[in-house]
Amino acid sequence: MKNGPLFFFGLFFALALSWAGLALGTQAQLGSLSPHYDDLEGKAFPERANGIASRGQLVYQDLGCAACHTQQVRRPEFGADKERNWGQRQSVARDYVHQTRPLLGNSRIGPDLANFGARSLAADENEEFLLAYLYNGIHGMPAYRFLFDVRKQVGESSPKALQGVAPTGYELVPTERAETLVAYLMSLKQSYAFAEARPFEPASKAEGAHE
Amino acid sequence: MTTAMSNPASPEVGEIDRSARCSLSFLLVSSFAWLVFGGILALINLVQLHTPTFLADCSIFTFGRLQAMQETALIYGWAANAGLAVALWLLARLGGSPLRGANYVLLGGIFWSLGVQLAIMGIALGDQTSFAFLQMPRYAQPILLFAFAAVAAPGVLVWTGRRNETTYATQWYAVAALFLFPWFFSVAQVMLIFSPVRGVLQAVVAAWFAQNLFSLWLAPLAMAALYYLVPKIKGKVVPSYDFAIYGFWSLLLFGTWMGGRHLIGGPVPAWIPTMGITATVLVLFHHMIVFVNLRGVFTPGGSTVLKFAAYGFGAYLLGAVVDVVISSRAFAVATQFTLFQQAQTHLGVAAFSMIMFAAIYFLAPRLVGAAWPSAGLIRAHYVASAGGFTLLIASLAIAGWKQGVALNDASVSFEMIASQLRPWLLAATAAQALLIVGNLSLGIHFVRLFFTKSTESTLKQFSQPATLEASVS
Repeated sequence: MKNGPLFFFGLFFALALSWAGLALGTQAQLGSLSPHYDDLEGKAFPERANGIASRGQLVYQDLGCAACHTQQVRRPEFGADKERNWGQRQSVARDYVHQTRPLLGNSRIGPDLANFGARSLAADENEEFLLAYLYNGIHGMPAYRFLFDVRKQVGESSPKALQGVAPTGYELVPTERAETLVAYLMSLKQSYAFAEARPFEPASKAEGAHE
Repeated sequence: MTTAMSNPASPEVGEIDRSARCSLSFLLVSSFAWLVFGGILALINLVQLHTPTFLADCSIFTFGRLQAMQETALIYGWAANAGLAVALWLLARLGGSPLRGANYVLLGGIFWSLGVQLAIMGIALGDQTSFAFLQMPRYAQPILLFAFAAVAAPGVLVWTGRRNETTYATQWYAVAALFLFPWFFSVAQVMLIFSPVRGVLQAVVAAWFAQNLFSLWLAPLAMAALYYLVPKIKGKVVPSYDFAIYGFWSLLLFGTWMGGRHLIGGPVPAWIPTMGITATVLVLFHHMIVFVNLRGVFTPGGSTVLKFAAYGFGAYLLGAVVDVVISSRAFAVATQFTLFQQAQTHLGVAAFSMIMFAAIYFLAPRLVGAAWPSAGLIRAHYVASAGGFTLLIASLAIAGWKQGVALNDASVSFEMIASQLRPWLLAATAAQALLIVGNLSLGIHFVRLFFTKSTESTLKQFSQPATLEASVS
C-alpha cells in the first residue's frame, strides 16, 4: 500500500458509507415521522409530556435510571414483555417523536417502564405510592433517600409530606426532584394503537384480504 | 546514529525510542492510574448489583452514575491512553524516524486526562448523557476531541514522513485508529449532543458510535500491536501475509455496520438490526485472516509477552464467534437487556487489555532503557489478569443467561431473579478485585522500571532482547 492519499480516502469512505447508510438512511425513513391525529379523540398521539414531566425526565437521566430500566416494549411473541404486563403492543418509533432524548436503555435489572404511568393508573397507585417506593426501595431497587428532606415539623405539616413514615415531631417532604421524577414516571404510556404497532399477521388471515 | 537506524540489526534502544520517552511514559502512567481507578469503580458497581443498598444513600454513587463513570474511566482513561501510547511507539519504530512533536503528545495527554476527569466529575454530579460509551457530559467532549488531535497528529506525521515507501500491516491498523476516532467521535457529538437528531434516530446513531469505538478504534489498536509483536518475538515472517490487507479492509468495511444488532426488537426499522447481524457474520472474514496471519501467538514458547498476547487474541476471536451466535434473533431474545451483554463488553475489553499489556511489557524496557526489575511481578500480573478476566466474563455470562431465561418467564419475579444471580455476581466481584490487584502491580512495576538506572548489567540485556521481556529467569 504505497498510495497515501488513496489509503486515507479509503478509511474516510469506509466510515462514510456506514454513516450514510445508518444515520442518513434512518433519517430519510423516519425523519419526517409526525404524531398521528385521531379525529375521534380530537387530539394527536403520542401526547406531549407536560413541563413538570419533562423536567422529571432530566432527573431520570441524571440519576442513571436507564442503567437498570428500559423503555422499549418488544413485540408480543418476542420475549415475555406482554406477559409481564409491560405493554400490550410493541414500542414503535412514533412513540418517541416528542422526546428530546429517548431513554430506551439496554439493561433490564428492573422492569421496563415504557408504560409505567398507564400501569400505575390501572393499579390505582397514585403519586404518593410512588414516592413511598422511592423512599423505601422496592423489589431490590435501593431507596433514594437523598430525594427527600426529613425536617422538624413546625406548626401545620406540609401538604406534600408523606404520611406515616417520619418519626413524630418530624415530617418527610419530597424534594422538587422527587416530585418531577414521579410526574415523569406517571406520564409514561405507550397505549395508543398506532397502525404500525399492530402485530404482524400473515396476509391470508388478515381481514378482508383478497385471495 | 543514522547508520544504526538504517541497519536492520540496530540496537534495541535507539534515537526513536528516546525521542518519545517522556511523553509516552506519561500516557502509560495515566493509563495505569485510570485502569486502577476504573477498576475500583467497577468493583463498587458490581457490589451494588448483588447488594443494591451499598452506598445507595449517596447520590454520587447511584448504580447508573457509577456504571457511566467506570465505563468512561476504563474506555477513555485506560484504553485510550494505553492504545495511543502503543500506536505512537509502533508508528515511530516502523516509520524509522524519531517522533516529531512529542511535546504535543505530552500536552494532549495532559488535556485528555483532564477531560476524562472533568467528564467523570460531571457524571458524578448528574450530567451523564445516557448514551452507552458516550456518557461524558457535553462540556467535556470537545476537550477530548482537541486533546486527541494533539496526541494523534505526531503519529500521522511520523507515518506520512516515513523512510520506506512500503508500509506494514501494523501501520495501517494504527493509522486507521488514529484517523477514524476523531471522525466518528465528532459526528456522534454533533448528532447526539450539540444538535441532536429526533427520536429513536438517536438510538441508531448511538449504536453506530459505540460499535465504531470497538471495531474501528480498539480492535485496530490491538491488531496493530499483534502484527508487530508476533513476528518480532517469534523471529518468523507472518504466514500468508498477502491476505493481511483483505483482513484490514474487511474489518473497516463490515465492522462499522455491526452496531444495529443491539437494537433487535427495538422501535427502529427492522433492516437496522438485520444489517447488524449480516455485518457481524461478514466480519468473521477479518477474524479468519488475522487468525491465519497471527496464529503463531498460540505457541508462545517462553515469552510472557506472547502469553498475554495469546490470551488477548483468543478472547478477540472468541468474542467474534460469540457475537455471531448471540446476535441471531433466537439467542438475542434471551440475552438482550441482560448481564450477558456486559459479559460480551468485558470480553472485548479483556482482549484489548491483554494485548496492550503484552505490548507494554515489550515496549517499556526499550522506551525507558532498562529491563523490568522483576519477572515474578509480570507473571503474577498474568495470573491475576487471565484468572480475573476468565472468572469475570464466565460468571457474568452465566448470570446473564439465567437472567434472560428468567425474564422471559413472566412467573419469575425480580426478587427471584436477583437471588438466582447472587452467587454468580459474588464470583464476578471477586474476579474484579483480583483484576485490580494485578493492575496495581503493573502500575507499581512500571514506576520502579522508570526509576531504574540503566547500569552496565542492564545494558547487557539489550544485546539479548529476549531477557527484556522477563521470559528467562
